Amino acid sequence: MSQSRPTFDTASLVEDVSLTRIAQYILVVVFIGFFLVPLEAGFVTALKTNEAVARSLPFVPSLGDGFTLENLEFAFNQLRDSFVNSLLLALPATIVNVLLASMAAYGLTMVNWRGQLGFLILFLIGIFVPYQAVIVPLADFWNNIFPIAEMLAPTFAAIPLLAEYHSDLVPLIITDIAYGIPICTILFRSYYNSLPESLVEAAKIDGASIAKIYRRIILPISKPMFGVVFIYQFTQIYNEFLFAFTLIVAADAPAAPVTLLIPSLGASTSGINYGIRMSAAILAALPTILLYVAFAEQFAKGLRTESG
Amino acid sequence: MGRIELDDVTKRFGPETAVEDLNLDIEDEEFLVLVGPSGCGKSTTLRMIAGLETPTEGDVYIDGDHMNYRVPQNRDIAMVFQDYALYPHMTVRGNIGFGLEEEKGYTKAERGERVEEVAEMLGISELLDRKPDELSGGQQQRVALGRAIVRSPEAFLMDEPLANLDAKLRSEMRAELQNLQEMLEVTTVYVTHNQTEAMTMGDRIAVLDDGRLQQVGEPLELYHEPANRFVAGFIGEPMMNFLEGELDGGTLVTPYLDYSLDDDLRSAVGDATALTLGIRPEDIELEEFGGDPGSLGDHEYVMNVTVVEPHGNQNVVHLNHAGAEDEFDVLQAVTGGMEMLTVDEEVVVSIDPDLIHLFDGQSGQALHNRRMEAETELTQI
Repeated sequence: MSQSRPTFDTASLVEDVSLTRIAQYILVVVFIGFFLVPLEAGFVTALKTNEAVARSLPFVPSLGDGFTLENLEFAFNQLRDSFVNSLLLALPATIVNVLLASMAAYGLTMVNWRGQLGFLILFLIGIFVPYQAVIVPLADFWNNIFPIAEMLAPTFAAIPLLAEYHSDLVPLIITDIAYGIPICTILFRSYYNSLPESLVEAAKIDGASIAKIYRRIILPISKPMFGVVFIYQFTQIYNEFLFAFTLIVAADAPAAPVTLLIPSLGASTSGINYGIRMSAAILAALPTILLYVAFAEQFAKGLRTESG
Repeated sequence: MGRIELDDVTKRFGPETAVEDLNLDIEDEEFLVLVGPSGCGKSTTLRMIAGLETPTEGDVYIDGDHMNYRVPQNRDIAMVFQDYALYPHMTVRGNIGFGLEEEKGYTKAERGERVEEVAEMLGISELLDRKPDELSGGQQQRVALGRAIVRSPEAFLMDEPLANLDAKLRSEMRAELQNLQEMLEVTTVYVTHNQTEAMTMGDRIAVLDDGRLQQVGEPLELYHEPANRFVAGFIGEPMMNFLEGELDGGTLVTPYLDYSLDDDLRSAVGDATALTLGIRPEDIELEEFGGDPGSLGDHEYVMNVTVVEPHGNQNVVHLNHAGAEDEFDVLQAVTGGMEMLTVDEEVVVSIDPDLIHLFDGQSGQALHNRRMEAETELTQI
């Protein structure tokens, strides 16, 4: 009501100011600083020359002589090929992963068959398998027992825009899909459990087969959930380091994804170049940030539907 | 043709028995209402006919064909769900047409025509391009009906389809559903826990309790000749009054009043000694009490009015034993809307022996139902 009055009501303003309120605001500001300063410092450092980094505090921006775009340029040139690798890895892996997980969750919640619980437990166990425990057999499998990368190399060489070495990503893609499915299945499962069962029953009575119910009813309804799981899983696979390190091995391998290159960028015997490191980190984070921004609405909707 | 038979059907979920030894014969074009309290097995029964559940024992036949292991789409039935189960991402047109896609013998154009035809029948033609969340409850209900009608099935199965509508719309839809069923001449099995719906809509009513069939019959048959105490209590609003007591000589002694039975009634009772007397509230007569206990007749008692619920057309009067300390009401009676009684007034309650029901105190089986002569004469006029 006070807003509609023409004169400014000072008394009510003073009344609103209380000690607890001031304390709340201070706390909020402190926390915002706590979370934002590292980001800001990284961003500022990325735009500083080496000398400026040495002379100024990390979070103080430097203008004039200390300002440079060379770090970003250098980092981008170094990371360019690995960006392509990372996207070639993360996009197909995420899409296949999310689709398979959604199908598995559908089969585990909305279709009745014997032994469902056993399979669900297998999925749950899959979440808790530590990656470190499997890397040696994994490398052995993809290198010696089933060297699919070597097998596919000639095929990849024949595909336009792709190079022979891109076939090295295939074992990594399959591995990431396999290890991503359990958690994604559980995410989808909780969503499908919240859907009314009568929807599937109505479709059954309408004569739809199990596959048709999935394709025509469940898949379209779970669009918001797809947004959530897609963003989550893309970030996971894009940021994944251990499997990439095990299967691609080195940062100078042509198929190396971004995560393999980042640790070595800006580090040399002469010391660490913080400007380059920060530039690389910011560039590497861009795809996931862009993805989140693009799907933010979908993401929020998905979280709402899941909790509601 | 859509004759549905249930033959000794039992359904167990683990140790729980949902439906036990159910025998039910639903005639072609009949409107049968399955009624009972929550958890009585009525929905399970419907789902077994639909093919969403498989009976643990016994057989389901539709048109003489054994159905137990047949999937829903091959049973030629349609179902309307309580929550309508409309596909939220499809338009009304998509929702109604979905079931036709798997139906043989339709071209795409014919499917479209059929959807329009059904929509027109239900008065929802102008809603065809809307999504379910843009529709009111009543409109969603119609779409759900349209989805059932569109395939012209052998039988409609309805699971509390009106439960989510408000009272006014519910009574409208009740009449509409009946008209629709008569027009389409399709066997209908209708599940509800609402006894008004059961009484007004069904050709016949099957009352279930605790997984067991209590009685099947025409609505008035259930009302006047209930097979047991459960049916007597379930059908009729307000509920029938029950007075439990012991037979002592020729008199039924209950905690609040003694009721003498004539020879006829006594022979109907046989050797049962624990009895329950049932009398419908509308069959109880109330008169003003003059103050002289000596003037009371044989089946007349003085009681106190504790609560009067005016309904406009009638009053529901709660009665307590005269001079009773406890809050417990002994009887409820229904009087005409213009007959005003006041709380704490003393009245003479008369219970006509022609109108009482007697149930076995242990099993609840009806031993005697009200005499019907007066009623049959009335219906002949």
